[in-house]
Formats: sequence, C-alpha cells, structure tokens
Amino acid sequence: MIVPIGPIHPALKEPIRLKLHTEGERVVKAEIEYGYVHRGIEKIIEGQTWQKGIYLSERVCGICSYEHTQTFAETIEQISDVDVPVRAQFLRVITNELDRIQSHFLANSTFFKSMDHETLFMHVLELREYAMDSIELLTGNRVNMGWNVVGGVRMDADERHFKPILENLDKIEESFDRVRALFAEGPALALRCKGIGVMSKKEAIKGRAVGPIGRASGVKEDYRIGHYTYDDYFDFKVIRRNEGDNYARTLTRFDEIPESISLVRQAIENIPKGEVRTPANLKSGYAMRRNEAPRGEVTYMIETNGNLIKNISIRTPSIGNMDSCAKYMIRDVPTVADAVSTYASCDPCVACAERVAITNEHGKTAIKGFDEVI
Amino acid sequence: MSSLMWYIYDFARKAWADAFTNAHTSSEIAEKPERFRDFPKVNKEYCIGCGACTVSCPSPNAIKIVRDEDTEEGEGLTYPVINPSACIRCGFCAEVCPTDPKTLECGLNHLILPEFNIIPSKRQFIVDDYLCIKCKKCMKQCPVDAINIVNDKLVVDQLKCISCGECLDVCPVNGAMKGVFVENLQAQKDLILLCVNYLEDYINNKEEDLRALQIDGLLQYDVPLSEIWDKALKIIPDEEIALEIITNAVNRLKIRVIDWDKDKCKKCQLCIPDCPTKCISFDEGEDTIVRDKDRCLRCSICYQTCPFSVIKYFIAKFSLEDGKIIHTTVKASNLNENIFME
Repeated sequence: MIVPIGPIHPALKEPIRLKLHTEGERVVKAEIEYGYVHRGIEKIIEGQTWQKGIYLSERVCGICSYEHTQTFAETIEQISDVDVPVRAQFLRVITNELDRIQSHFLANSTFFKSMDHETLFMHVLELREYAMDSIELLTGNRVNMGWNVVGGVRMDADERHFKPILENLDKIEESFDRVRALFAEGPALALRCKGIGVMSKKEAIKGRAVGPIGRASGVKEDYRIGHYTYDDYFDFKVIRRNEGDNYARTLTRFDEIPESISLVRQAIENIPKGEVRTPANLKSGYAMRRNEAPRGEVTYMIETNGNLIKNISIRTPSIGNMDSCAKYMIRDVPTVADAVSTYASCDPCVACAERVAITNEHGKTAIKGFDEVI
Repeated sequence: MSSLMWYIYDFARKAWADAFTNAHTSSEIAEKPERFRDFPKVNKEYCIGCGACTVSCPSPNAIKIVRDEDTEEGEGLTYPVINPSACIRCGFCAEVCPTDPKTLECGLNHLILPEFNIIPSKRQFIVDDYLCIKCKKCMKQCPVDAINIVNDKLVVDQLKCISCGECLDVCPVNGAMKGVFVENLQAQKDLILLCVNYLEDYINNKEEDLRALQIDGLLQYDVPLSEIWDKALKIIPDEEIALEIITNAVNRLKIRVIDWDKDKCKKCQLCIPDCPTKCISFDEGEDTIVRDKDRCLRCSICYQTCPFSVIKYFIAKFSLEDGKIIHTTVKASNLNENIFME
C-alpha cells in the first residue's frame, strides 16, 4: 500500500509529496516528488547587475540565506580580482558561524517535533533565540541579513556589538550540555533513533549526501577546509561519525555547535583593524566557487560580460540530501512514524532544493530524483 | 437579552481599561533594532512619476506606479506603491529617486551609496537602423557573437556585449554604429548644446553674406574649433571623449537659419496667425513685428507665407576635419520658388 504524505501536511515544513510504500506497518520504499515551490530565481537574476543579483540570491533559501550571499560575492570577487580586507573576512566568519548555530538548532528542534517530543523542541528553540538575537544585533535583521556586498561587508562592527554576542554565546553554553545529554543519554529518545534510517558511507557518496548528513555516515567533506579565511586564521575540528542513523545525524549537528561557538570566539578575539569594504568593478569572465553552508556545500557558477550577469547556476545541498534520504534511509524502517522522523532528520529544505522544473505540453511534470536533472 | 447586556457591559469595561492603562497595539510595542533594514517609506506628494524606482528594482512585481482618479478639485496623484510580500528591502529605489525631498525613503542602514549604478559599463554599443546598410562587417568582427539579425535589423545583444569596440572600428558608415558613453549624459548634453549655439551664432552674425546669397548659391566658411575647446574641456575633462562627442554631434548636425530683413517688412501681419508656436507678435508701441528666437521651431511656415520675401530661410551643414576646423556650408532654400511655379 502507498501512504502519501503532503504536499500539505502538519509533519512537513514545506510543500513536498512523500510517497511511502508499506508492507503492513513496515515502510519498504519511499519516493519524493518535487515541483511545488519552484520560483526560477536564476532566470530573474540573468541580465541584472551584480548589485541586484546579490539581494536575489539571498532569497534562494529561507534558513541558510547567509551562505548564498557570501558565495555569490566570493564568485564575483574571483572574476573581478578583488581582495577582501581581513577585517571583512573575520566579520563574514562571525555571521556565518552564528547562522550555522541557529540553523543546526532549528533542524534538531524540527527533528524532535517530528518525534513528538515537545519539551526538547521548546528547549532547543529557546537556545536558538540567543543566536538569532546576536545576528539581529550585528546585522539588523534576523533572517535575510543583506550583510555581504562584493568587496566586503555592509557595515563595520565594534565592541558594543561583540560584547553582547559573547554574553549570548555564554548563555547558549550554559544549558547546551544539559540539552544535548537529554537527547544523547536519555532512554526515550535514543531508543527511537538508534539504528533507524541507516545510510552507509558508500551509499552517502553514491547519493551525493553532503554536510552533516554525509559526515554522520563517515564522509569527510567540509568545504571550510580549503577556504582561504578558515585556512589562514582559524582552527577547528571536523565532526564525523560512522553510524549513519538518525541518532548520528542529530548528534553530528549538536557537536558542530560548540565548534562554531569557538570559531566565533576566535574571530572576535583576533579581529584586526582596518577597512571593511573595497570598491569593485565587474570584469567579464567565468568563475565557480563552493562553500560550506549549514546543510552542506553550496555551489555557484557565474558568467558575466563586464556589465551584467550573463548566466548563473546554483547547486544547493538539500537536493542531494533529500534524494539520498528517499533512496537509502527510508528503505527498511519499522513504522510510518519513524519514516517521517527519518525524513526530518535529513534537514530538508524544499525551497532551495527546487532549482529546476520540467514542463511538457500537458503542464508541469514532477522530478523524481537527482539523476533526472543531470 | 441578558447575554447582550453582558456583552455591552464587558465591552464598556474593556474600553475603560484600555483608556485608563493607556494600552497600545502590538506594532507600537515592538522595538526595531538599531540596524534594521526597513521597507521604503512613500511620500506621495513629491512623486513626479519618472519610473526610476521600477527600473532599479531587482524583484519582479515589488513596486508599481499608480494614479488616483481625477476629482473636481484637481488631477489625481501619481505615486509608487510597494508590495511588502515581494519587496526585498535592498533600498535601490530610494537611492535612484531623483526628487528633492525624496519620494521614497529607506533610512541610513542600507549603505549603498558608493556602489550603485544602474549600468556599470562606460560605453554601450547601439546600431542605428536608419543609417545601417546591413553589410554585416560588424557581425563577422564581433568576438562574442553579440550582434544578431532580428526582424531584418542588426541588433546588439547587451547581455553578450563585452564593450570591446571592434564593431565601431570596422563600420563603413559614419554614425551607423554608435558607442554611447552612458556615464555622464547631462554633461554630454551640455557639450552638444554649446557646439550648436556656437555654430548658430557664427552664421547669424554673417547677415550681409546671407542676404546677398542667390538661390542655388552656396556659402562656405571654415570655423575654428579652438574658440570653444577650452569651454568643452571644462564640461568633460577627457580630451578623447570630448572630441568624439563633438565629432558625432557636428557631422550629423543640420541647422536651419531664418533671416529677417526688417527694412523690407510691410507689417501686413500675415505670418502671425500661421506660426504654430505663436512666437511672432506685433508690438504696437514700436510699430514692428517681433520674433522670439528661443521659442521658434525653424519650421519655415512664415517664410512660405510672406508675400514680400522679407523672411529668408537657409540650411547649414557641417563636417569636422582633423579635429580643428569645422567646414560649414550654407545653402538658400528654394521652397518658395516651387510654390510660385505651381
């Protein structure tokens, strides 16, 4: 029997159709149909100037919108040979890591909500609010920050911003260990997570899983290693686990949060003085850049003609993660409720996954996977 | 009935409590953060309806210019309306708004002043349909295939163009391919106006030559450019750009000159009702006919109307040689002759 979930359903944050093939209570196979929130942002950006394009690229993803502007700006900087001032690079790291903290907290709280554990859901969202306050204090807005411009960041920050951010981080660290222990060592949650939705390392590579989802299965990919700012000025540890189940994915995200907090602390301690912006003139050319967003790698390919953006192609992490979730994670899951929580554990973001829509003479046809796109 | 009484009592009690405690709505309680990037504010009364905000907006459907209905008191206002669900709060509309004080305001947190320019390229290449002979040399020369044929016309695709300027070099027709400098349009207009005024004054000062000119006769002058060159460099400091703009302007310029011999005039006033801009009038105090030069279109209707050939009409053409001397040719019009022949 096929159990359809969605496109509108209380368990889903965004519209998507999840088809679960069941044998009795056991879920043996899952399919995902995309195509409900395709907006065609690349087509809107084509033919615009870079000043306009950076604001549109922010709208690709709702939760991890920051990394999109940074990758867009770095791609244009690579085309135009612009050197970003070191102070601006440090400010970018602070915002990027605060964004990662809030995104991981939100993903974990959604996972607890899908398991019907509302207490932990509320506790985690309470911690997330400190990160959101810090972002609001630094950039002025909570989600779509508009913080990056080509050649640096929009505004300078000083001690009256850094001090409250450090206080907020202290508050997160105070109760972080307790919340993590509630999940990792408590019997109620751990029993429902361990051994559910297992994806091996080979399957993760085959299904192109990236970010915390890939790293929970043993893939060692983190594009912060290789990024010029992180390589030159920062020390951090890449979190990896080998189990590849719901428990490992949630715990990987939990363990990355202290690393991000330490990165923010390092940046605030060592931030140099100087300019935060250099003027940029767009040259013609082609460049490709990839960066580590909270959910995995974001890739931008941009072609310019010295005047306008000629061609742009965006690849977001969620499409690989969601596709490998349907193919490998929900393959032998005991109950339908576990299938839904497995889907939530892969941190799906439908709006940024829908980068292409295929239409024929009968109207729109849904895409059933990554392979059809390539 | 009792429930209705209870409802009125409860309503009155709440209203009293609100007034007593000075309660506010939620939007007034919430504080905006210090660096908040807000939606632009619209001040309707200053809008001139130029549409610059809609051109600069990156988001589709975010900003629209509407016009209120006319009332008995006067015309309806024209002003922009912002759709909050599509607006992405970039602040470009407020940046480009030309009115003073601004119609669209967004505060200081957007900080886009040094970088915003709608067209960042210095030069834009455009084909003039009227002059183009479709030899397709530019198409063969273009390194990025930016020139295409659309509806039997050559069109430059601005998305592909890299502003190399090779099409301009190979074009055999003077003026068919234009390289327009888009940076300082107002300064360019001032420079062209300076050239035109200088040439027109020069010809108007040669009254005696013009009156002696026969039909089918030609007058030729060599006007030196050096007299306005210093003034031109004050408007546009770059010598190459200034010379190119003057060359383009002068080579395609055609000035019509109207000469008015007041001694011959019989004051018949036939020309006054025919003038389309009403620039000719009769001054009763001094008993003469007065022509306002600034409003005159040089349409030649007065020249065709005048039965005593008081008014004469000439056409002047120019070409710039070596960037120093403007060759000027003045020719008398023979429009009137043809009319009398009929």
